[in-house]
Amino acid sequence: MSQHILEVKNLSKHYGALAAVDDISFSISEREIFALIGPNGAGKSTTLRMVTTILSPTGGDVLVADHSVHKDPAKVREVISYLPEEAGAYKNLRGIDYLTFMAGLYAKDAQEVKESLEFARGLTGLGNRLNDKISTYSKGMTRKLLLARTVMSKPKLAILDEPTSGLDIINAVEIRKSIKDLASHGMSVLLSSHNMLEIEFLSDRVGIMNKGKLLEVGTPAELKKKYNATNLEEVFLAIVL
Amino acid sequence: MKKFFLLLKKEIRELLTPLMVLPILVTVVLFGAIGKIGKIESEKAKSPQTITVIDQDNSSLSQQITTALGASNFKVVSAKLEDGATLAQTNNSVAYLLIPADLEDKVQSAQSPTLELHTFVRSLSASASTKQAIVKGAVAAINEAVSNQLLKSQTSLDPAFAKQPIHVDEFVAVADREAHVSYEEVLGFVQSQTYFIPIILFLVIVFASQLIATSIATEKENKTLETLLSTPVSRQSIVAAKLVAAGLMALLFSAVYMIGFRSYMDGVTGGLSMDVQGATAEALRSLGLKFGALEYALLGLSLFVGILAALSVALILGAFAEDVKSVQGVVTPLMVLVMIPYFLVMLTDFSTLPQAAQWAVYAIPFAHPFLAIQNIALHHYPAVLYGILYELAFFLVAVYAASRIFSSDYIVTLKLNFSKKK
Repeated sequence: MSQHILEVKNLSKHYGALAAVDDISFSISEREIFALIGPNGAGKSTTLRMVTTILSPTGGDVLVADHSVHKDPAKVREVISYLPEEAGAYKNLRGIDYLTFMAGLYAKDAQEVKESLEFARGLTGLGNRLNDKISTYSKGMTRKLLLARTVMSKPKLAILDEPTSGLDIINAVEIRKSIKDLASHGMSVLLSSHNMLEIEFLSDRVGIMNKGKLLEVGTPAELKKKYNATNLEEVFLAIVL
Repeated sequence: MKKFFLLLKKEIRELLTPLMVLPILVTVVLFGAIGKIGKIESEKAKSPQTITVIDQDNSSLSQQITTALGASNFKVVSAKLEDGATLAQTNNSVAYLLIPADLEDKVQSAQSPTLELHTFVRSLSASASTKQAIVKGAVAAINEAVSNQLLKSQTSLDPAFAKQPIHVDEFVAVADREAHVSYEEVLGFVQSQTYFIPIILFLVIVFASQLIATSIATEKENKTLETLLSTPVSRQSIVAAKLVAAGLMALLFSAVYMIGFRSYMDGVTGGLSMDVQGATAEALRSLGLKFGALEYALLGLSLFVGILAALSVALILGAFAEDVKSVQGVVTPLMVLVMIPYFLVMLTDFSTLPQAAQWAVYAIPFAHPFLAIQNIALHHYPAVLYGILYELAFFLVAVYAASRIFSSDYIVTLKLNFSKKK
């Protein structure tokens, strides 16, 4: 087994003549938080969707814990968990029922379901509101529920697309802290975001994408030094413009 | 398997919402209520109707007419010419009858007397047709009385024999079986047993197809589909759970509709044609027209596989819907395909259609349950079995195609959003 939890090798996704993702490669180590940043349409979400086996690559491969998305997508899905951008939950279910349902899809037995639920309960901070229908939740509450759902099965790799999009500052800060804490306990994270502040706070390494290509990879400090910039926003603009 | 049941439970909980169940229950309750009203109306029609008679002849013949009306379930009220019309209005008569003073004289001199029947129009509803039958009944009763009197006075023959000297014994053959029963009785029974099945089948197919397409569209709209597709659950399980959940709902709603229609039919027909007794029942049984366990099992199987075939197509069509609003648009082709056999079977004699049209209908998998109803009644069992096999083969191919779509990019990239078209 390699020391990388994720290896993206010459990955491409073409829709006819359009290259949504064009021959990109990067890897993520255990406990590492890796962020993909780039303007709208850069290919970040398409990359995440290929890693999660929702879309099939038209070129290259993705290995998650040594399982190929081409050859063994079912094995890949066992070790990952995905939080799509603007994801929703089943509104007719109560929060606790949703968590129980999702835990059941990952757990091997009832004990694992119980453990996942206990973990998620604490992480959501929703208390008794978990007994209410999800349709009554605010956007922030739903996002917390979904983040807890994503990580409660303790996946080897959590894939988070814009984890704090649309949230107020307090909720966003709480979620960022949770992600950082989970990574320190052994989970690797692949995330995408438009929020440079968030990226700088969370990420060990950053990959900058534009028009389907991965233009730079490095730690925030390395990138700032290379582009003589005071923050990631300046780095981003220097590369993309 | 454990994950499949988890998915199934989730699907059922998503489908069984008050918003989904309430309209169905309301429909059934309404059908029951309409049936009850029908029952009350038909009982009303059976009760004696008042008719006002203005007898200006006061002969033995005019007396016989009055007696004959009384024997034909009329309540006869006698009146004078001056106030007869007014009295008939106030006593709620269906009509008033004016017997001329020369009735008996004219009949005896072999001339046709003219009687006047004045009918009151108090409503133009469907029940007005019942009134037409009542009035016709009154005219028939009058003619019967007069002709009986004539025959008695002119001949030594029994009036009943003179009017119907020949007795016709009716036999009906279905395939190689024959029984002593009238064609009218057979047709009435078969239609009463089976004519509500196509209606239910049509409603259930339409309903279940919309249900499954909506369930996919809702997952897309609420952005839960991508999460589900990234979980360690096989795509086949996701497809199967959606199919089975919608199939179970379809069965549940079929049962509910069946109860509703049955009570409606019982109400409207007064339960008469549903339960035939005595010699007629025996004749129908010997013709094999009274559906037994085997016939119902065959019909049920054809219905169920037909619904599954429709669901599998709806599953594929649902993959094209981007949101709930676009569901109606994507399932329209399916609705049209269900309507074609429905109307053809309900309104035409399928066996006399041109060959090309028949084969075109055979190609529609959901046509076979409609055709099975008649084929079972007429003992064309091979046709029913071939139909079921075709439905099954179609279902398996469509489910395979659906699971291929769910295993590919298409499930997230296919889009036909009609709602955005302006």
